[in-house]
Amino acid sequence: MLDTQPYRQGAVTVDGVTVRYRVAGPDNARAPLVLVHGTAGSIDGHYGYIFPMMAYRQRVIALDFTDPGHDRLDLAHLVAQVRAVIEAEVPTGPVTLMGYSLGAVVAAQTAAEMGDRITNLILAAGWLKTDTHQRMRGRVWRALRDQGSENLTEYMTFCAFSPAFMNARTLDDMVKAAGMLTITPFVEKQMDLNARIDIAVACETITAKTLVIGCTYDMMVPRHHSKQLFGAIEDARYTEIPSGHAVVHERAAELFYHVDRFAAQPDGFAAGTIIPAQKP
Amino acid sequence: MTTTTPILIIGAGFAGLGMAIRLKQTGRDDFLIIERAGDVGGTWRDNHYPGIACDVPSHLYSYSYLPNPDWTRVFSPGGEIQAYIRKCAEDEGILPHIHFHTDMQESRWDAEAAEWVVTTDKGVYRCKILITGTGHLADGHMPDIPGLDGFTGEVFHSAAWDHSADLNGKRIGVVGTGASAIQIVPEMQKIASELVVFQRSAPYMIPRWDRAYTEGERRMCARDPQVVEDLRSEIFWSGEFNFAQRRNIPRFLNEAKALALGHLETHIADPDLRAKLTPDYEIGCKRLLISNTYYPAVAAANATVEPSALARIENGQAVAASGAIYDLDVLVFATGFEAVRPPFAARIFGTEGISLDAHWDRGMQAYDSIAVNGYPNLFIINGPNTGLGHNSVVYIIEAQVDYILGALDHIAAQYVEVIEVRPEAEEAYMQKLDGMAAGTVWLAGGCKSWYVDQRSGRLTLVWPDFAHSFREENGTFHPEGYATVAAE
Repeated sequence: MLDTQPYRQGAVTVDGVTVRYRVAGPDNARAPLVLVHGTAGSIDGHYGYIFPMMAYRQRVIALDFTDPGHDRLDLAHLVAQVRAVIEAEVPTGPVTLMGYSLGAVVAAQTAAEMGDRITNLILAAGWLKTDTHQRMRGRVWRALRDQGSENLTEYMTFCAFSPAFMNARTLDDMVKAAGMLTITPFVEKQMDLNARIDIAVACETITAKTLVIGCTYDMMVPRHHSKQLFGAIEDARYTEIPSGHAVVHERAAELFYHVDRFAAQPDGFAAGTIIPAQKP
Repeated sequence: MTTTTPILIIGAGFAGLGMAIRLKQTGRDDFLIIERAGDVGGTWRDNHYPGIACDVPSHLYSYSYLPNPDWTRVFSPGGEIQAYIRKCAEDEGILPHIHFHTDMQESRWDAEAAEWVVTTDKGVYRCKILITGTGHLADGHMPDIPGLDGFTGEVFHSAAWDHSADLNGKRIGVVGTGASAIQIVPEMQKIASELVVFQRSAPYMIPRWDRAYTEGERRMCARDPQVVEDLRSEIFWSGEFNFAQRRNIPRFLNEAKALALGHLETHIADPDLRAKLTPDYEIGCKRLLISNTYYPAVAAANATVEPSALARIENGQAVAASGAIYDLDVLVFATGFEAVRPPFAARIFGTEGISLDAHWDRGMQAYDSIAVNGYPNLFIINGPNTGLGHNSVVYIIEAQVDYILGALDHIAAQYVEVIEVRPEAEEAYMQKLDGMAAGTVWLAGGCKSWYVDQRSGRLTLVWPDFAHSFREENGTFHPEGYATVAAE
């Protein structure tokens, strides 16, 4: 008998498109946790572990971004979708907002705009301002895409995982994992948006208690970006997970550990703290 | 003869030694260990059957504060683990604290003296604080097989292997298909003329990602301790990931099941044998086993899987519950351990003069998985709700040792004579655990296992959450759960 967790499906309309989300877990003393996925992601793709496991601890809400349908995707479109879900599901009271990768950028911008509605913020493998290193990678991605290269998803997989994670698997395993990625027009628009991120000014205004999680072996959004967020956000503490960018797959349980602990006790560590790794 | 010691530890395995080492490292010398056998190592001393190895990679299955760069394999053989434990005891200066060949027969709380009186076969000990480190896998379980006396061949339990017995070319029966059995069977298959495996229920098995470490890798670990630390972290968090399977999340359960059944299909071509080896319960409900050699061994020409229990011995022959009869020369009982009702509990008598075993007539329980109301000044390491289905128990032991160190500091600082967990704190803890255990694969997976006490249906052996949350919740002493009496 599987412990099939009941979750409720919800939907809101934003800019004329439907945004779907899921809600699970008990209401308790913790602020509801809202999960925002990253580029080429989804609830299942990026929060397949965190969503069901956190739902044993507390109320969790996660949304799937919908393509707003414009030629160009802007950060404001995605922020509007997150805001709409929060306003529908947690119209009042505190919220813990978590974003991963591009989702972290969206979450940070949302926190800046929503002020004290977002009491706690978790930014995993996010960034402040797209830099030359990222733009160089984006350029190779664009070129492979324009060539219709079959190696595009392999390139993405290569960039996403740490050497240690890959080396515990076979080349076949990794190629198979790459084959599971699909590139839609919406993903292309997200990649384009990734090249244009600058939330430096907004980050200075964030008041939420913030946990910034950098990934030690991240080649897509190297950890210096997380350190920049740690510096830019006033009430921020920082921790690192020894993972590639794909921390939601590579070190899902360790990510859970940090998310769970912060969600339970956001002020467990003072602002400015570099939280040490758990040494088993 | 009466020996008086502030702290008495029972057992010199991973738990008891871990306690002693940390006491010593934190500057305390006022303890003794009593150990019933003649060496340290606990279950790794007792279990030396052919093929013994650990199911947790060695770089994690070792003390965090005593890393070993010299492990020869990812999953080192049992003898190497035993040698590691002995070296730890020697290097840390613990051996002089150990009284070997000293078997605890009875521990009785003396309320007047506020001491434990521990009777052994070597004399009486009096101590303020009693710590048990007797483990889950200490006393072999022998099923009651009618007619076993009439079996004329060799008979022994896996944890009491008789290396003097000549098994070459013999007809060997292995009873059981648990973690020990699946390591023993491939070794027996190599030397037996015929091998019969008595299987009460088929286990799930996944591949063992084992390999030898090169000399260069070992030197790398010795030269750069950070490499070992990184490895420990990687192994630990991969293990933690798998808690989602035990938590019974369909996606992760199904992934594990696909891995296990794929492993079965890869190795077993014969559809009848495959059917026999296919489990009838949910994966993880019983201990998930890892082996690359078990399936090939039972598929070999000289091997038979008997898909029922050994029922009795009749006319010197082994009779299975199915009625099948086998002529055998050797019977190996790989039938596990007295884990649900640990024998040590029948020897400990608290404030009411009742044994812990009798007190636990509805199953083991302890506040913070370590202390029991009615049994003051007693701390139980690796007792109720400390087992894991997905990670290293040494990690749990270290968390419990930290807890006890905190308790000892509290006792010293507050001049505590008697410390006893409040009944309501213990009950609240158990209610919390019941809530956590509900719906996990151990309870909902449709199997009978040693994780669950059949008298109450409660999950008494396993900590029903991540290992890291055990440390978060039970790695620090909680004085608020206890009532104390201070010295006058």
